[in-house]
Amino acid sequence: MKTTAELIADDPLWLSIIKVVAIFAFGVVMTLFMIWLERRVVGRMQHRPGPNRVGPFGLLQSLADGLKLAFKEDIRPVVADKWVYFLAPIISAIPAFLAFSVIPFGPDVTMFGHHTALQLVDLPVGVLVILACSSLGVYGIVLSGWASGSPYPLLGSLRSAAQVISYEIAMGLSIVGVILRSHSLSTSDIVNAQEGGWYFWLLPVSFVVYAISMVGETNRAPFDLPEAESELVGGFHTEYSSLKFALFFLAEYVNMVVVSALATTLFLGGWRAPWPLSAIDGGVLNTGWWPILWFVGKTFFFLFVFVWLRGTLPRLRYDQFMRLGWKVLVPVSLVWIVLIAASNALWNTPGVTTGQRLIFFGVGIVVLLVFALLLPDKRVADDEEFVPVTGSGYPLPPLDLSVPKSPPRRRLPAAPEPAEREMEPAAVAAADKETGDGSL
Amino acid sequence: MLQAYVPLVLLFALAGAFALFSVAAAPYIGPRRYNKAKLDAYECGIEPSPQPIVGGGRMPVAYYLTAMLFILFDIEMVFLYPFAVSANALGMFGLVEIALFVATVGFAYAYVWRRGGLDWN
Amino acid sequence: MSGFFSQAQQLQAPDVAYQAVLPMLLVLGAACVSVLFEAFLPRERRWGWQVALTVVTLAGAAISLIVYGNDAPKAGVKTFSDVLTIDRPTLFLWGTLLLLAFGAVLLIADRSVEPGGAFVAQAAIRPGTLQDRVQAAKVGMQTEVFPLTLFALGGMMVFCAANDLLTMFVALEVLSLPLYLMAGLARRRRLLSQEAAVKYFLLGAFASAFFLYGIALLYGYAGSVKLADIATAAAGTNRSDTLLFAGMGLLVVGLLFKASVGPFHTWTPDVYQGSPTPVTAFMAACTKVAAFGGILRVLMGAFASTNWEWRGVLWGVAIASMAIGAVLGLTQTDVKRMIAYSSVAHAGFLLVGSIALTSKGVSGTLFYLLAYGLTTVATFGIVSLVRDADGEASHLSQWAGLAKRSPIVAGVFTFLLLALAGIPLTSGFVGKFVVFSAALQSGMAPLVVVALVFSAVAAFFYLRVIVLMYFSEPAADGPTVTVPGAFTTMAITIGALATLVLGVFPSFALDWAGAGGFTF
Repeated sequence: MKTTAELIADDPLWLSIIKVVAIFAFGVVMTLFMIWLERRVVGRMQHRPGPNRVGPFGLLQSLADGLKLAFKEDIRPVVADKWVYFLAPIISAIPAFLAFSVIPFGPDVTMFGHHTALQLVDLPVGVLVILACSSLGVYGIVLSGWASGSPYPLLGSLRSAAQVISYEIAMGLSIVGVILRSHSLSTSDIVNAQEGGWYFWLLPVSFVVYAISMVGETNRAPFDLPEAESELVGGFHTEYSSLKFALFFLAEYVNMVVVSALATTLFLGGWRAPWPLSAIDGGVLNTGWWPILWFVGKTFFFLFVFVWLRGTLPRLRYDQFMRLGWKVLVPVSLVWIVLIAASNALWNTPGVTTGQRLIFFGVGIVVLLVFALLLPDKRVADDEEFVPVTGSGYPLPPLDLSVPKSPPRRRLPAAPEPAEREMEPAAVAAADKETGDGSL
Repeated sequence: MLQAYVPLVLLFALAGAFALFSVAAAPYIGPRRYNKAKLDAYECGIEPSPQPIVGGGRMPVAYYLTAMLFILFDIEMVFLYPFAVSANALGMFGLVEIALFVATVGFAYAYVWRRGGLDWN
Repeated sequence: MSGFFSQAQQLQAPDVAYQAVLPMLLVLGAACVSVLFEAFLPRERRWGWQVALTVVTLAGAAISLIVYGNDAPKAGVKTFSDVLTIDRPTLFLWGTLLLLAFGAVLLIADRSVEPGGAFVAQAAIRPGTLQDRVQAAKVGMQTEVFPLTLFALGGMMVFCAANDLLTMFVALEVLSLPLYLMAGLARRRRLLSQEAAVKYFLLGAFASAFFLYGIALLYGYAGSVKLADIATAAAGTNRSDTLLFAGMGLLVVGLLFKASVGPFHTWTPDVYQGSPTPVTAFMAACTKVAAFGGILRVLMGAFASTNWEWRGVLWGVAIASMAIGAVLGLTQTDVKRMIAYSSVAHAGFLLVGSIALTSKGVSGTLFYLLAYGLTTVATFGIVSLVRDADGEASHLSQWAGLAKRSPIVAGVFTFLLLALAGIPLTSGFVGKFVVFSAALQSGMAPLVVVALVFSAVAAFFYLRVIVLMYFSEPAADGPTVTVPGAFTTMAITIGALATLVLGVFPSFALDWAGAGGFTF
């Protein structure tokens, strides 16, 4: 029995090329499909049908939008930095696709007479590749905002960078929990290690932290502050149009698919069939091409949650958002990691009785409680020496500004708008930016 | 060893070619109608406020702080990954070391927290 | 990668000689506790707790050092899988560091000379802004200076004991980073202080890069970063000498920078002048001890067998340092800058002892470090006392006729300057004597002659200050001499008394310094 890495090492070049093309196509098709799905689902959640004109159920809507974008005028503001402005969409698109390379879509199969695994590469540092790609993607966002030479994009990109790196910490720490159990950074090893039990219930805290931070990491609602339409117009891509804009759009959706696929791999057993199915016929559903079905299904579960969140939750305020990342997710992850490491070490040390283990944990919990009591988040009361360091001459409204009551509403005799009418495709792109209907 | 990375390079090339093509082709496919207002920075229709040179100007200090905290914790993560992989081999010794390490970073974290380094206002 | 991780199977917990490294652990542990104090104590209680903690820590570390030193094995102890060596010179250097740090901490803790202490409350505020003016009216102080001091001290202690270059590099950073920050904390003359911090940081970062690159080359040469392995590789081998000497050159540049040996001294005057005076005292005394401890260990441990190849270069460096310090010191008009150049000259003298590479050279250099450090702490203590409305009056013209205003302060300062100049019956004389005689014994007579000439030249600018203080008319709106509080008085007294005692009865300290050699 060869390991996945050895199987893949035997791939001839043409097979690798086929896999590369398939992965690329998967990314693009998933993007087109996701845009459609998102608009349909959000539409249903808001009691309207969503796009339903182009193709069956409006399925070709996003393809039409994409083509239309290609025929829009390509504008480059005069103050923009030419080369960086040009490079930024490329920088954000490439790593998004690259992250797919280490995702295991399935176990070993026979493809065109070759025994291989449904995975492009199986690196011993697989998880790190994904983290690296997601970090590199930030460059695209930051540089696009910087190069546009316009205030909204600059603000959006700064926010975005701060947000992504903050949540990357939480994400990375939550993955440490997985590695502590699987003892490998290779994604296929992690899937194999989940044969006995999926990590989402073995490592619930890691799973929750990952699930939250993956939404933050991809700048999605309710954490979509960099793109906050109502505050920053469109965020970092305000000044982009045509295919450059399309690339940012593509990168965002591909990133969404990647983090969902990674969540599946790390916590939901990857391509493994869910429990009742996995018992059928000695696990026949875990072999051959079946696993792709389970994998894509689980990935879609996460993607649906993304849409669901967007349809349900209002956007967080920036300070609340950063507080959640730094003051909740990071410490929780750190404590959790130490707990897992401690239980691992205790259970692997010979000659430790259960009583001793319990005492050890009791002491640990007491120490934790003491620390928790020491850490109440209140301002040091005696800061009368405080001199404001930040703050410029610009007037800023206070965060707790009380809004005056709105005047009593008057009923207008106007006729109601026909609610069922869907906008024409050509008008959609404009609506994308203004109303957020285009799911950005 | 490096052989394993060849497919990765292929994927990089394909994605890169696609992205480069999209960006490069856009000006030729789309129409071009000159309008000076179009080329200004977009500020919801008002006249653009005078800008420093691209990306210039000062950024709020909080962003630098976040960047530094990120580096701090990223390095902590970098140490945690190899530890996590070989945690069983290291046994109790590894546990004590990593607990000390996390505690040391924790002190700095507590300090930053109490001094308001994690607050945005 | 998998190969790398599988090595973990053989990893064993290293043995730690806890008793030997206890002083170091105490200091570093206290630094962490001190950070927690900063985080959790209310502002008005921080100063008291920090001072208490720091003093108790230094005392505890000193006691544990003495207890261990009484029955320590003469051959020294290697611990933490041989990356630290606790031998006699280490113990002496640690003792010196703790004593000097105690003096400096007394100066740092003083809040009577400058109301609220010599440190600003928030160093990040830009000078000249509205916030800066608001802050100038307040008396709060950045108590973070205490944990920073402890961290720097811990780094210095590790630096002196490091037996491999990587540990040394980590220690170098641990000692440097707090110092960069501390340089920017002065309450008065904020712009100068911030300039000093930035300059020190940038140049220090360069020096660290040199040091690191040197380590890389030496690793390429010897396949190890341990001093002993490099020495073995250099002793009998047909490997490329280019790597060895290029690596050594870069490494030594990094070290000489920290020791402010000319021509790598360019940061010294600016940083000494801009930093708060107590920090300058800490930096001048302790950093020099740590840096020369490192230089001695590296030269003796790794490069002793090839000394014929490189000694000539370090001769040149020593002469350059003495010349720069003595000649440029003559032209200075600011007391702190003058002492900075004097420290450059002293670094040259110390380097003379360091390249003797004999046990007498080592013990002489160690003694010199102790004597010089104590004198320096007291000197800066005095400098902080002479003040006018703008803070310290450090311009030399303002010191004119000081003896008429305050004969005691002028007298003590005169004594300290004479010690720096190396006049008999002061510790400076004994220090120079032992260092130069060690150099003579290892056949460096021409260098000793040059050194003597430059000490004569340097003596001139010390005398110039003395003459100025005693034989000039005081200016009408000249500075006043503040009556020091208990802390500063104590620091000055310790420094001045030690300068006297070490000058008259030096034998006990010389015995300690010569109690044993390095172990690698």
